Amino acid sequence: MNSLSSSLVQAWPYAAAFAVGALIPRRESKFERFALGIVGLLAAAFISSMWPEKAVENAAAPPMEWDQLLNLIVFLPIVGAVAILFMPRQSPQLLRRVTMVILGLDFIASLWLLKVPMTDGWHFQYVREWLPGFGIRYHVAVDGISVWLVILSTFTTPLAAYASFGSLKKRTKDLCFSLLLLHGAMLGAFVSLDLFLFYVFWELMLVPMLILIGIWGGVEKIKASYKFFLYTMAGSLLMLAAILYMVWTHEQVAGYVTFDYLALSRLVLPQTAAYLCFAAFALAFLIKVPMFPLHTWLPDAHVQAPTGGSVILAAVLLKLGTYAYIRFCMGMFAGPAYAAAANLAGVAIGGGILYAALVAWKQTDIKKLIAYSSVAHLGFVMLGLFTGTEAGIAGGVLQMVNHGISTGALFILVGVIYDRRHTRLVSEFGGLAKVMPIYTACFVLITMSSIGVPGTNGFVGEFMVIMGSFTSSVLGSHGKLQGGLAAFGVILAAVYMLSMVQKTFFGPLSNPKNKHLKDLNVRETVVLAPLIAMVFVLGLFPNLFLDRMKSSVSGVTARFMDSTREFRNAMDTNPDRAVLLPRLSGALSSGYPEDPKKQTEAPESATAALDKESAQ
Amino acid sequence: MNLLFPLSPLLAVGFGALLLMLAEAFGKPQVDKELHGTEHIVDAGAGRSGELGLGAAVILFAGAVLSVAVWMVGPQNLPELKLLEPWLVMDRVALFMSFVLCLGGAFAALLAGGYLPEHNIDRGEFFPLVILATFGAQVLAASGDLLSLFIGLETMSLGVYALIGLRRGSPRAAEASLKYFLLGSFAAALMLFGAALLYGATGHTDLKGIGEAVASIGQPGSTVNAALVVLGLVLNLAGLAFKVSAVPFHMWTPDAYEGAPTPATTFMAVAVKTAAFAVMMRVLLTSFGDERLMSWGTGWPPVLAFLAILTMTVANLIAGRQESVKRMLAYSSIAHAGYVLVGLVATMRAPAEGQASVMFYLLTYTVSTAGAFGALILCGSRGAEAVSYEDLAGLGKRHPAAALAFTVFLLSLAGMPPTAGFFGKLYIFRAAMGSELYLLAVLGLLNSLLGAYYYLRVIVFMYFREPAPGAPLAVPMRSGMVTGALVIAGFLVLALGIAPGTPLAMALGAVSP
Repeated sequence: MNSLSSSLVQAWPYAAAFAVGALIPRRESKFERFALGIVGLLAAAFISSMWPEKAVENAAAPPMEWDQLLNLIVFLPIVGAVAILFMPRQSPQLLRRVTMVILGLDFIASLWLLKVPMTDGWHFQYVREWLPGFGIRYHVAVDGISVWLVILSTFTTPLAAYASFGSLKKRTKDLCFSLLLLHGAMLGAFVSLDLFLFYVFWELMLVPMLILIGIWGGVEKIKASYKFFLYTMAGSLLMLAAILYMVWTHEQVAGYVTFDYLALSRLVLPQTAAYLCFAAFALAFLIKVPMFPLHTWLPDAHVQAPTGGSVILAAVLLKLGTYAYIRFCMGMFAGPAYAAAANLAGVAIGGGILYAALVAWKQTDIKKLIAYSSVAHLGFVMLGLFTGTEAGIAGGVLQMVNHGISTGALFILVGVIYDRRHTRLVSEFGGLAKVMPIYTACFVLITMSSIGVPGTNGFVGEFMVIMGSFTSSVLGSHGKLQGGLAAFGVILAAVYMLSMVQKTFFGPLSNPKNKHLKDLNVRETVVLAPLIAMVFVLGLFPNLFLDRMKSSVSGVTARFMDSTREFRNAMDTNPDRAVLLPRLSGALSSGYPEDPKKQTEAPESATAALDKESAQ
Repeated sequence: MNLLFPLSPLLAVGFGALLLMLAEAFGKPQVDKELHGTEHIVDAGAGRSGELGLGAAVILFAGAVLSVAVWMVGPQNLPELKLLEPWLVMDRVALFMSFVLCLGGAFAALLAGGYLPEHNIDRGEFFPLVILATFGAQVLAASGDLLSLFIGLETMSLGVYALIGLRRGSPRAAEASLKYFLLGSFAAALMLFGAALLYGATGHTDLKGIGEAVASIGQPGSTVNAALVVLGLVLNLAGLAFKVSAVPFHMWTPDAYEGAPTPATTFMAVAVKTAAFAVMMRVLLTSFGDERLMSWGTGWPPVLAFLAILTMTVANLIAGRQESVKRMLAYSSIAHAGYVLVGLVATMRAPAEGQASVMFYLLTYTVSTAGAFGALILCGSRGAEAVSYEDLAGLGKRHPAAALAFTVFLLSLAGMPPTAGFFGKLYIFRAAMGSELYLLAVLGLLNSLLGAYYYLRVIVFMYFREPAPGAPLAVPMRSGMVTGALVIAGFLVLALGIAPGTPLAMALGAVSP
C-alpha cells in the first residue's frame, strides 16, 4: 500500500502532463486526444529522466546494461520501414499511426540509455561476427558523446514526422517508409564502431533523404536531390578507399583483417598515406557538416526539402559529419588532425562563422537564411572540435544538440508560415505579430536561443567553444585571434536573425494577404512545445548534459593528444613505415578480445620462439 | 570410368537443349488467329513461349544446381575429370562460373517466357538457342586449350547472333545482329590468328603447355620466340576485349544491346560477358602467368589497367548522356566490365584475392543486371515498351512494385549498401588495394560516382517526375515468369548484400586450395 501510494506520488508529473495533452481544447477524436496525452507524457518523462537518479547510485551494483538495447533502437525503425512497405497505401491514417508508434517506442527505448551513468568507455556494447572472413563485425556501442546524438535523433525525428504529417498529405506511404528508414540509418551510424557497418549506415541514409527531398520538395527539387546525393557520395567513396587502404595496411602490420574502429585506431600509417587518408575521411565528413567551401549543397537541399525533411537534415543528419569527425578523424588520425586543425579552424571561422553569417544577412528567403545560419552554427561546432581542448570539444558537442533543437524548431516555424502563405520571402511579410501573437512569441524565443542569449541553450555551447579556442594549444599563437573572431560571429548572428525577425513580425501589417492568417494550431503547438522546453532545460541546466559527456570528452581529448604524440614519435623514427601502437588505455579498451587471432596464434608464436632458441 | 556425374553440369544443359529442341519442333504451335492471320508462316514452337521458357529455365537451373553438387563433391575427388584435360578443365573456378552462367541463362529464359509473347515475337527457337549458347559459354569458361576455347566461343557466339536477330521484321534488330556478327567474327579471327602465332612460337595449343614454354623464355636452350608470344598475347587480349566489350573495342555493344530483344540483351550482358571474363582470367593466369609477364614493368597488367580506366570512364561518361534506358544499361554493362578489369589487374600481386574478387563480382553483376533488364521488361507491355526515361516518369505511383524492384537493382548496380553490387565492388577494390594499385582503386571508386548519376536518374524519373500530359506511357506487363525472375534476382541481390559469407568463401576457396 505504501509503495503503491509512493509510486502514485512519483507518477503525478507524468499524469499531469498526460492530462494537459489530452485536455487541449478543440480536438475531434478521442484517439487524437489520447495521442497528444502520450506526447505530453513522453516530454515529461524525457525531462525528468535527464536528472541523475540518486537512489540507484550504488557502487556495488552498477545498473544493468541490456546489450540488445542498441539493436532494438536501431532496428525497430528499419524493420518498421520494411513493414510499412506491406501495408495498404489506401489508409494513410494507419500508416501515420504506425509510424508515430514506432518512433515513440524508439524514443522511450532510447531514454533507457540515460539510466546508466556514462563513465568513460563503451556502454551497451554488442559485438557479433558478421563476415568473419572479411574481418567485419557487427559492433555497436555508445559513449557519452554519441548517446546525446542518439537521443537528439530519437527526440527530433518524431517531432519532424508529426509536423510533416500535418503538411504533407500525398504519398503517405513513401513518407513513412523514408522517415523510418532514415531514422534507423542515422541511429545506426551514430552507434556503429565497425568501419564497414558505419559505411553501410552512412550510405543507407542517402536514399531515404533523397526521396524526402525529391518527392515533396519545391520547384528545384530534382536539382537539389542530385546535388545532395552526388556531393555526399563523392565524399564517402573517397572515404571507402581510405578505409580499404587502412584495413589492408593493418592486415600487413598486425596479421589479421579487421574493420573494427578500435583496432584500426591503433594503426599509425606512413606519413603520406596518413595525410591522404585523413583528407579522404575529413572530406567525407566536412561535406556532410557542411563546412565552407563544401557547403553549397546545403542551401539547395534545405530550401527544396519539405519541413520535416529540413528538420531531420538540420537537426540530425548534419551532426553525423561533426560526430564522425570526432570519432573517426580525431580518433584514428590524431596526428594529421592536429596538424591540420589550425588551418581548418581558420576556414571554419572565415568561411563558416563569418562568411556564412554575412551571406545569411543578405538572404530574402527565410528558409535559405536559416540554412546559411546552419552553416555558421556548424562552423562553431567544428571550431570547438578543432581546438582540441576539453572545453572546446564539450562545447562543440553541446552545440550540436543546441543546433539540432533551435534550428529544428526554426525550420518547423518557417514551415508553419509556408503552409499558410506558400511563400517564404521576407518581403511578403511584416507585422505578423499583430495577427499571430503566439507564433511570434515562439519565433522570437527560438531566435534568441539561436543567437545564444544567456539563459537559452545557444549561449552555453558558444561560450564554451570560444573559451576553448582561447586556451587551445592546438590553434597555436592565433588561438586568441580566432576566439575573438568567433565571438564577433555571435554578433553577426544577432544581426541577421534580428533584422529578419524585425522585418517579418514587427512594423505595419502592410500586405493585405496576411490580415487573416491563423495562429498556431494544436499540432504545431505540440511539436514546438517540447523543443521550447528543451531550450530552457539546456540553457539553465547545461550540467545535465555536460556531466554525462564529461568523462568521454576528456577521454577523447586525452587520447587525441596522446596519439598525436605517438604519431610524431613514429614519424620521427621512420615516416615510411606503418606501425601499430600499443593498446591505449582509457576508453579505447572495449572489454572484448581485440585480436581475434591472438589466441590461435599464441601457440604458433610460442613454437616459433622455441625454434629460434633451438636454432641458436 | 564414369564421367556422367563430373560432367553433369555440361551434360544436363547440352542434352536439355536437344530435348527442348525436339519438344519445340514437334510440339503443336499455338497461334492467335486474329493476330497472325493465315498468310503468316507459323513457326515451330510459336505461341509456346510460356512452356518452353519454363522448360529452359528448369534445365538451366538444373545446370546451376549440378554445378554446386559437383563443387560439393570437389573436383579433386573426381579423378575422371583428368581424362578431359587439357581440353576441359573442370576445376572449381570453372564450376563457379558454370553456376553463374546457368543462373544468367535461366534469368534470360524466364524473362523471354514473358517478353516474347507480350511483344508478338513468340517464337520457340529462342529457348534452345539460349541453352546452347549457355552450353558454349560453360565450355568456354572451362576450356584449357586454345582449340576448345575457340569451339566454345563460336558455339556461344553463333547462338547469340541468332538471338539478336530474332525480331525478323525490325531493321534495327537486323542491323544489330549483322554488326555483332561482323565484329564478332573479326574478333574471333584475331583470336584465331593469335592462337596460331602462339602455336607457332611454342608448339602448344594447351594453355598450360604455352605457359611452360613462355616461362622458359630466356633460359638457355629455349627456342621460343618472345616477339611472337607477345603478339599472340596482344591479339588474344584484343579478341577477348571485344567479347567483354572493353573500350575501345566496345563500339558494337550499344547498338547490339539496343536492337536485340531485351531477354537476348540480358543474356549478352550477363552470360557472354561472364564467360569471356572467365576465359580471359584463365588464359592470362595459366599461359601468361609468368612473373615477367605479370609484372607492372614488362607485362600485361599496365595494359589491362589502362583498358580498365578507359572503359570505366568513357562508358560512365557516355552512359550519363543517354536518353534510352536500355542504351544506358548497355553502357553501364561496359562500365562494369571496367570494374572487373580492375580485379583482373589485381591478380598481379594478389592472385587468389584478385581472382576471387572477379568471380564474386561476376556473380553480383549477373543478378543485378539480369534484375535491371527484367525490371525494364516488366515496366513495358505490347506497344508501350519502356524505352526512354520519360516512359518511366511517375512509375513509382502507377506501379509501385515494379518501380521498387527496378530501384533495388539500380542501387545494386550503383554499388550502394546493403546490396550485392556493393560487396562486389568492395571486394574488387579491396583486391586492388592489396595489389598496391591505389590510384586504380581510387579512380574506380570515383567512377562509381559517375555511375551513380545515371542510375539515380532512373529513380528520379520513376519517383520524382510526373509524366508530361499526353505523353506515351509505359504500361507494366503482367507475367508470372518475369515476376518470378525478379523475385529470385531481388532475393539474391539482398541476400548477397547482407550475408555474402558463403559465396565469398566459395569464390576464395575456388582459387586457394
